[in-house]
Amino acid sequence: MLRDYVPLLLHIGVAIGFAVSALLMSVLLGKAGRRTRVKDTAYECGMVPQGETQPRFSVKFYLVAMLFILFDLEIVFMYPWAVVYKEMIVESKLVLWSMLSFVTILMIGYVYALKKGALDWKR
Amino acid sequence: MVTLGQYLIVSGLLFTIGFAGVLLRRNIIIIFMSLELMLNAANLSLVAFSRFRLGVDGMPNYNAQVFVFFIITVAAAEVAVGLAIIVALYRARQTTHVEDINSLKF
Amino acid sequence: MTIGAPILEVEVLVIGLFVLMVEAFFERIDKRTLAFAAIFGLAAVLAASFFLAPAPTDVATTGFWSFYTADLLAIFFKRFALVTTILVLVMMVDYAPVVRQSVHGTTHQSGLGEFFALPIFTCVGLMWMASAIDFVMIFVSLELVTMSFYVLVSFTRRNPATLEAGVKYLILSALSTGFLVYGITWIFGVTGETNLARVTAVLADPALESGPALFGMVLVLVALGFKIAAVPFQMWVPDVYQGAPTPVTAFLSVGSKAAGFVVLLRVLQPFFMMPQMVKALTIIALLTLLYGNLAALPQTNLKRLLAYSSIAHAGYLLIGVVSFAGEAVAYYLVAYLLMTLLSFAVLVVVANQTGDNIEDFSGLAKRSPFLAFAMLVAMASLAGVPFTAGFLGKFYIFDAALRQHQTTLVVVGVITVACGFYYYLKVVRAMYWDGSSIDAPVPVSRLSRVTMTAMMVAIVVLGVYPQPILNALK
Repeated sequence: MLRDYVPLLLHIGVAIGFAVSALLMSVLLGKAGRRTRVKDTAYECGMVPQGETQPRFSVKFYLVAMLFILFDLEIVFMYPWAVVYKEMIVESKLVLWSMLSFVTILMIGYVYALKKGALDWKR
Repeated sequence: MVTLGQYLIVSGLLFTIGFAGVLLRRNIIIIFMSLELMLNAANLSLVAFSRFRLGVDGMPNYNAQVFVFFIITVAAAEVAVGLAIIVALYRARQTTHVEDINSLKF
Repeated sequence: MTIGAPILEVEVLVIGLFVLMVEAFFERIDKRTLAFAAIFGLAAVLAASFFLAPAPTDVATTGFWSFYTADLLAIFFKRFALVTTILVLVMMVDYAPVVRQSVHGTTHQSGLGEFFALPIFTCVGLMWMASAIDFVMIFVSLELVTMSFYVLVSFTRRNPATLEAGVKYLILSALSTGFLVYGITWIFGVTGETNLARVTAVLADPALESGPALFGMVLVLVALGFKIAAVPFQMWVPDVYQGAPTPVTAFLSVGSKAAGFVVLLRVLQPFFMMPQMVKALTIIALLTLLYGNLAALPQTNLKRLLAYSSIAHAGYLLIGVVSFAGEAVAYYLVAYLLMTLLSFAVLVVVANQTGDNIEDFSGLAKRSPFLAFAMLVAMASLAGVPFTAGFLGKFYIFDAALRQHQTTLVVVGVITVACGFYYYLKVVRAMYWDGSSIDAPVPVSRLSRVTMTAMMVAIVVLGVYPQPILNALK
């Protein structure tokens, strides 16, 4: 009866042994080198690092990037529009006017951003 | 050949990862990224449905693709507004961790 | 004379863009003029809406009219959105000094123009949503509303509580958007349609495997639960309501909620033949009623109290939805609009002088009998005292529920109404019985005095003569 459990015990023993030996080996053999001043300098003619690792950048960058993404993405609506334009313009001018009104609203947004100085890099 | 079911499983996984991220992560920026992941999960399954459920004329169902366009643009707008609010919060509090945002408890 | 339907939305949009452009190009003018111009413009649009001929669309239409309908429900909620926005703008004029303190800019009035323009864009979103009969349209207009609210909630950004409320609202709203979109995806996957009428037609086929569509609908319900503040999706409400600028809180509690209910009424139609749906909604309604009313009991901050009260009212409205009583829901929403906006209007004026805790209202009857009386009317109506609109609203809802044999809902509803009496009358007691260390009268501008009087009259008149609202949907 107890005999049936021997393979299981053996298995557990091997598992524990393997884990311990693997950890021991990595401690004994895998020596992580000590950090020294010389080691931390750039390799051969690499650049000497300047400033902090996480430089702060101007919030202006964020503003311009966001405005770019917003106006850039609106192009998505113009592709399907351009595909069906030739067929639909024959039926009515509505397809032209709807895109014009869309672009007008976009333009107003752009003028607003411009007037508020969102694209003024120096300010 | 990739089937509709496989696309749906990937999309379901993306949605679950996103939702788990919202629940478990503590950094607001990462929470926000997880939210975008959830929207993109929906995009993937919409495109898959549109590709695999062909109409009577054998063309894909374009309703879904138009919906995807709208989701993409709305998500971009949401990111712009959301990041602005998070940046404002960071400037006021110097933190983006949810545990630090607790002055409104009763 | 009749006019085509989408004209109204375009007009409101033009008003909003106009306000934005004036704000951008003329920095020196008094920005409150902009608010008055906007109020005037919106009132003109409201008047124009009475020349609109209802034009319900049928299933077969394609193109624009498969996205948009101008049926009676849509026109009714368009007017609802316009009235709400006008009243909120009036409140915002009173709130302008606070905004000036907490937004820094080059001139002493910078930021005010946007503060007045954003509610107008929200109004456009609400109006599109009232007419949306396609999931794509519902999504886009809902996002227009939510996106404007993101900015509005965190508008007074020098106030740390406001920013915190803004971030909470942002995360939870974006989460609900994710659920909405994924839910719509599944409904689309099963039916291959995004138009609500056609979804209904496809789902009516008994041979169809409707499980995935039901899963999608549950996700959509979760998203709408966030918008209408139903338990268990209510956790953002108290914090955001307390932290947001007060007029924005008022707008959120009325506009956002009404929008959620319009969409709910339309979206649920394909799913109402499924008994699981009704059962789930009944449970949500019960939880919402109990949670909203019980959690409101110990509150000491009036804004937070009104937040819990708004959860409680979502519960009563859900009873109406479960009982298929569209007219009762519409009437209740109108009553809710009047009484909530009236109490917030008084709150804005009083909070300018003292604060927004209930104890700041003590002795208000001596400091300003007019404001105290306005608050008394609002609270009485919220609690459901007879001869007010709030009473009749609850009466119609319970009546409809009894006709559908929803006895449990009615019993719980009546018990929670008694609960409501306690915490609403707490405010009244503070105003009329408690003394106050301050004797200085509270200044009220003429515009707010006129609007508050109009709202009081409307509450009492609609409480006795409800026919105009009930007929509007026939």
